[in-house]
Amino acid sequence: MSQTITKRTDAPKPGVGPLHFANRLGSLKSLIPLLPFFAFIAYFLVFPLTFIFRDAFLSNDGKFTFENFAQCFQGVYGHSFYVSIRLSIISAAIGAVAGALIASAIVKTGTRSRRAVAATASVLANTGGVPLAFMFLAGFGTEGLVTKALKALGWNIYGGSFTLFSASGIILVYSFFQIPLMVLIYSPALENVKPEWREASDSLGGNRLTYFLRITVPLLFPAFLSTALLLFANSFSAYATARAMTSGTLPLMPLLIGNLVDGNVIANQEHLGHAMAVCMVGVSIIVMSIYLLVLKFSKVKR
Amino acid sequence: MSKKLKVVSAAAGIVLATTALAVLPATAAVNASTASSAASFGGLDNLIKAAKKEGALNLIATPRDWANYGDAMDIMTKAFGIKINSDNPDGSSAQEIAAIRTTKNMDKMPDVVDIGLSHVAEGAGLFANYRVQTWNSIPKAWKSPVGNWYGGYTGSIALCYDSSVTPAPTSIAGLDNPAYKGMFAIQGDPTAAQQALISVFAVAVAKGGSVKNIQPGIDFFHKLKASGIFVPVTANATAFASGSFKIDLTWDYNVTGFIAQAKTIGKTVKCTYPKDALVAGTPYVLAINKTAPHPAAARLWEELMFSMKNGKLAADLTAADLALPGSQLFSLVMGGQNVYISGGASPITVASMTDKVSPPTALIVPTGLPQSVLPSLAQQTVATNILKTAWPKI
Repeated sequence: MSQTITKRTDAPKPGVGPLHFANRLGSLKSLIPLLPFFAFIAYFLVFPLTFIFRDAFLSNDGKFTFENFAQCFQGVYGHSFYVSIRLSIISAAIGAVAGALIASAIVKTGTRSRRAVAATASVLANTGGVPLAFMFLAGFGTEGLVTKALKALGWNIYGGSFTLFSASGIILVYSFFQIPLMVLIYSPALENVKPEWREASDSLGGNRLTYFLRITVPLLFPAFLSTALLLFANSFSAYATARAMTSGTLPLMPLLIGNLVDGNVIANQEHLGHAMAVCMVGVSIIVMSIYLLVLKFSKVKR
Repeated sequence: MSKKLKVVSAAAGIVLATTALAVLPATAAVNASTASSAASFGGLDNLIKAAKKEGALNLIATPRDWANYGDAMDIMTKAFGIKINSDNPDGSSAQEIAAIRTTKNMDKMPDVVDIGLSHVAEGAGLFANYRVQTWNSIPKAWKSPVGNWYGGYTGSIALCYDSSVTPAPTSIAGLDNPAYKGMFAIQGDPTAAQQALISVFAVAVAKGGSVKNIQPGIDFFHKLKASGIFVPVTANATAFASGSFKIDLTWDYNVTGFIAQAKTIGKTVKCTYPKDALVAGTPYVLAINKTAPHPAAARLWEELMFSMKNGKLAADLTAADLALPGSQLFSLVMGGQNVYISGGASPITVASMTDKVSPPTALIVPTGLPQSVLPSLAQQTVATNILKTAWPKI
């Protein structure tokens, strides 16, 4: 290899073989700073995933089996697919639509307020886990500050069927980080929409609707969809918030996996937990495939 | 040399020789990792010496305010100079076993574990056979014949409430009072926390069910959730501080800790046994890691936790006490079984204990309590399987 390099420095001929190779070598070299990243991915993603895949196909006595996967789709475990996916779709839809509207409103305002919103959104988007659950409990719980204030104003939010401890409550809480995340990731895409395009559309006789349907939507749809799918994954895998707020009264996949591999009550069912985890990976892969298909389709159309 | 002196020196020689005979083979040959009783060390004194030499003990999933473990840790440190490394205090039984498996050959590997009975079968192969001196006082039902695990203590379900709650709850059946809307919680998911599982049993018993029939408990939870009384948060101190609940069911031995934590935020918590159900849990099990990095300290910890002595806490030990030989000091300190009692737990050797401390005064024991019942491990497994499906639907 060192020979090749010497050759290159001796006789640099632009556009021919050795340089081409050197370019490739150069791009390999440029990967060196990324090595820690690859090591990180290997250790924290590939390595555990391999073990989970292997364990998912093993019985408690270490023999190969499909039994774990058969159990995955039965009873409460099977039902949890429906509950988790449904909750994630609703949460992603609310987050994506509300976030997109807020983002388009913000893009129209000045740079300074845009920066302020971006900073706030990035803080809110990263608020999660048990602290988020307690924020909502302290605010909107039955004895919460907001609940009490609204009661004093004559509105008892618990007068009807509302409760923070149900799927709708969880969706409300998730919106707290889903909407800002959408704003954060979707805004840059919006900023790429040039005012000139609107002018071009107008001068070619387009109205607001045609501009929206034939220019904005095709341009922004891939960005919108990819962010929405990210929101889906975000709520699909969320664990701590839901755990703190439901104590298992809502059968979400991550919570059930948690009970199978951890806890003080259920023992010796780690393999079922691993199979469930593989199923979650499967759902993510399906969602990603849909995204890639849509992306391909939208490119072809353009 | 006078005759008298000769006799004395001869006697001293004999004593020395016999001591050496008794001690030397033991200290030279004993492998703490395989010692199956204090006698394997050549007595408690040698065990203590070996433990002191190791100087540290790795505990896992053992919070200081759980069953009063803090007092036992302090005794271990002050009396025997053993530093306590407490890892992942709020961890679960499953995490304890996983820790032994995944930290093989590391210094931080847990020396001893405190796990739920449900996890014993899974971990049994990882535990060392060791019989504490009070082995015969541990009921047969709660120990493995080879000594690789034995129950240490258990508790019953108590009812705690913020003193501002009116009317003050006294029974489980009375929790359906609309005045308690948004106030009642248990310790998490009954398919994940034994404390929550036994709480559901307690509710079942109070509502006409039994250890064999948990359904009335599930039905009552369903009713309480539908009327907004039951709040599905984990009833810990943080949730209490955020106002998420005001009434909960909990292990009696965690009551003192909860009352103290509530006090720090200016709240008064009162605790009692519900008058319509007295339900105990299967004991928590103590076991020594077969490959413990501090094998002697681990064994001394077990000896301490199963000692039935009524004695001094760490703060009461004087310099003179600390100068005593190991086994004498051991007899002087409060044994773990009494430490459990002072934390509100029920120690495993309670039937054989002759000198018991008094339980914490914070827990109000009403008169005319019902007969205590205890769901067996098999009954808990049956209930867990029912709850896996039924709990998400309550």
